[in-house]
Amino acid sequence: MSIAFFLSVFLIAACGLIYELIAGTLASYLLGDTIFQFSTVIGCYLFAMGIGSYLSRFLHRGLVARFVSIELMVGMVGGFSSSLLFLAFAYTEAFRLVLYVVVILVGTLVGLEIPLLMRILKERFQFRELVSHVLTFDYLGALGASLLFPILLVPKLGLVRSALVFGIFNAGVALWSTYLFREQIGRSHYLRAGCFVVIALLGAGTVFADRISSAADNSLYADQVIFSRTTPYQRIVLTKWKDDLRLFLNSHLQFSSRDEYRYHEALVHPGLAALPGARHVLVLGGGDGLAVREILRYPSVEAVTLVDLDPEMTRLFSTHPVMSVLNQHSLTDARVHVINADAFRWLDTNTEQYDFIVADFPDPTSYALGKLFTTAFYRLASKHLASGGLLVVQSTSPLFARQSYWCIVESVKQAGLRVYPYHVYVPSFGEWGYVIGGFAPYQPPKQLPTGLRFLSTANVGELFVFPVDMQPVAAEPNRLNNQVLVRYYEQDWKDVAH
Amino acid sequence: MSGLSRREFFGAPALIGLWGKTDRKITGGFVNDSFPLGHRLRDRGAFRAPTRQLRVPIVIVGGGIAGLNGAWHLDKRGFRDFVLLEMERQAGGNSRWGENEVSRFPWAAHYVPVPAKGESLARELFEELGVLRDGKWDERVLCFDPQERLFINGHWQEGIEPEDSATPRDRGQFRRFQEKINELRGTGEFTVPMERGAKPSPLDRMSMKEWLAQERFDSIPLRWYIDYACRDDYGALAKDTSAWAGIQYFASREPEEKGPLTWPEGNGWIAARLMEKLKRYLRTGGVVYRVVRDGNKIRVLTEQTEYVADAVIWAAPTFLASYVIEGAPRAEGFQYSPWLTANLTLDRIPDQKNAEPAWDNVIYDSPALGYVNATHMNLATHVDRTVWTFYWSLAGYTPEDGRRLLLTRDWNYWKEAILNDLSRAHPNIRQCVAHIDIMRIGHAMARPSPGFLFSEARERWLKPAGNIFCANSDLSGFSIFEEAQYRGVKAATGALRVVGRA
Repeated sequence: MSIAFFLSVFLIAACGLIYELIAGTLASYLLGDTIFQFSTVIGCYLFAMGIGSYLSRFLHRGLVARFVSIELMVGMVGGFSSSLLFLAFAYTEAFRLVLYVVVILVGTLVGLEIPLLMRILKERFQFRELVSHVLTFDYLGALGASLLFPILLVPKLGLVRSALVFGIFNAGVALWSTYLFREQIGRSHYLRAGCFVVIALLGAGTVFADRISSAADNSLYADQVIFSRTTPYQRIVLTKWKDDLRLFLNSHLQFSSRDEYRYHEALVHPGLAALPGARHVLVLGGGDGLAVREILRYPSVEAVTLVDLDPEMTRLFSTHPVMSVLNQHSLTDARVHVINADAFRWLDTNTEQYDFIVADFPDPTSYALGKLFTTAFYRLASKHLASGGLLVVQSTSPLFARQSYWCIVESVKQAGLRVYPYHVYVPSFGEWGYVIGGFAPYQPPKQLPTGLRFLSTANVGELFVFPVDMQPVAAEPNRLNNQVLVRYYEQDWKDVAH
Repeated sequence: MSGLSRREFFGAPALIGLWGKTDRKITGGFVNDSFPLGHRLRDRGAFRAPTRQLRVPIVIVGGGIAGLNGAWHLDKRGFRDFVLLEMERQAGGNSRWGENEVSRFPWAAHYVPVPAKGESLARELFEELGVLRDGKWDERVLCFDPQERLFINGHWQEGIEPEDSATPRDRGQFRRFQEKINELRGTGEFTVPMERGAKPSPLDRMSMKEWLAQERFDSIPLRWYIDYACRDDYGALAKDTSAWAGIQYFASREPEEKGPLTWPEGNGWIAARLMEKLKRYLRTGGVVYRVVRDGNKIRVLTEQTEYVADAVIWAAPTFLASYVIEGAPRAEGFQYSPWLTANLTLDRIPDQKNAEPAWDNVIYDSPALGYVNATHMNLATHVDRTVWTFYWSLAGYTPEDGRRLLLTRDWNYWKEAILNDLSRAHPNIRQCVAHIDIMRIGHAMARPSPGFLFSEARERWLKPAGNIFCANSDLSGFSIFEEAQYRGVKAATGALRVVGRA
């Protein structure tokens, strides 16, 4: 019989430690800085346990009933703690507040458990024996939990389910206690009913745990996710809200269908319209086919080569019923040749010359992507320019990432090209920048293709005018052996975010 | 199924579930073993007599960087009547490299620091190889960013100086160390090659560890960092390294450009270019087992050919001279650190703990030196397979004990040691590695023990002995590319004088 009491101690100790580990792990996952998160979570938790122990003195009568309800509360709060934290991170700005409130709440309740239990059991055992047994099982439970957590729980159940399962254990201990201590509480129908309700709620949570995590995931994108796939290269997510389609690569917005025409018209026409008779065009990146759609407006263009790393991307934009309408079936046009390859390597092994080269890569968020914005890359690209040809580079925002933008301009210049920086306002992006590079002097075009929605001969010249807050700042060129751009970019966006 | 008991049948999947994925089979073995041949030379084993005799004015023995550069110099001076003999099937010495379906990779030396303005010899070679043009270094061979990272306190930090656990006091000592090094650099005694500036110095009579204590450097991260530098360049701990050499590592260089120069196959790229230029002189796979003076001629014996030469450039390690050259004394004082390098073929990239892969990857407090990523110098933005070259100078042992360990432990022992070391930073490494080849080098690099650099023992070998010119980098007391090149060219200059072409 006595082993049954101490088994409860073992279980509640394990549950208590699991909630603490889950809070610490989640905070490190979501916020980073493991040492800080674990230290503060453990500190708050232990302190809250102290509060709980202190508060236990104010509980006088009906200790068993109190104990049962405290177990149920621990089960509920602890069990739903990770779901709550995930959702708080996804939907609110107050993740840290929720985190510490949950930690202190669970800690206080857990702090109440052992003192209460000892007082309940004190009649049945000698004090010396009681303290020794309770603490022994308390520590054993902690050991069990701390081993189980990394080996089995996190890899097999995940954080959301682990918390829920241990919540059920707490509620189970509560239910069991109503039997173990039945002489002390007598009629306990309400308590038992409560136990069953809590177990049912947590059980339901366990069944729907996947929905909880995907709800959190969904909310990171404001709209409904209509396509998502993780390829070896990136995570592709398409969202739709009313008539607005958005493409995200690794959670970075690539375009919104409402205003992408501004971005893509500005990317292609200032350069290509200035090259009457351009026949061969190369697009690097841009697997969405939207830049190609603009290029195909020119009857003189005989061949467009599109080099994009990810076959999944070009397949999606060639075949998806909605996406292929958006790019006007550009990727399946007879003049277009799609190649899935790493752009830098491909260019290095290729000898073709092009009248117009478009470098439409994702922003330099990593050293790997940063290589595509280096002097070495632009020097290589310049070798593929036909006589009088032009290169245009998507160059991030000259307003939000001013130094990054001018770093890219400087890098194109250091590669031996004349540079012509310009920018445009794209509502879903903000101010966006480009740079045209060429060996010969460049003049904005006097004529543009028909059917454009944003650019006209009247406003194309204005793109090259930079207001005071976007004018050049000193920046080193981005080189393979010193990728300053990745650091500038990180700093620039950090400054914007705070 | 029938052989399984009920318990095994139900237990096994549960256990597998508990321990995660079962480890995959990893293939591999020892490669490029050179000690059997070395031991035959040492033990005066039997070699076949040559079947033909050739008259060649200059013979270079040893096709490492010293020998190749000796040949490069002779060829540049328009002297074509010589041969370069290499006992291995592949020349290159410590700059040997390998290649598999994933990448080329180095077997030992994997970089050259960007030569400063004064290093005319190295610059001349790199200009010829197209790496230096009009004073500008080719961006594609300057190590890409991020160059180095250190795994410390459970995560990767950029750079190898342990910033992460450094206290303000540690930082103060790092600063003071840098100032001290700048001051010593100012003396002009620490140069590359070392012979240009080196003067006998009391610093050579103490160990690097003693010097650190004398200068009151006691910061633990700083001491780790300096110990790492000594293990990396000399294969010895700071306590076994001459303080002069320890300081040379830091004080001899002031690069004009962020480097170093490196290639997927490491310095194998340089060796391959030189071998291509010099292939008409190169004879591989024939061991020189005897060198005998005969009047004013020198007879150089391989199992195929006896070369009769006027001058010999001995570019093989100096300690081998006493086993091969008749009458040569033992190379007293010359010590060599044993090394182990391993090339790991990975068919997926291990977890990086949110850090971006770097070229040189070091694990704090590891007995090994870390690994270099062969695909780092790849232009691609995405790689899904790679080769890592894992370096391990057995600095914690005496050279003799280290060599014994290399010879007595099997491949499995080293494989496990390597994977255990790497798993600290990459927990899923065992699921990513497909193949591990291991190269054991008993006498990998010269070790500058205290007192050796300015000893008479070393001095004696710098002078030619009857038209035999020693050229190995070990004559400088430490094995680096620029020393090998300098010694090779210097010996070639001496040999040209003998044949009347200076």
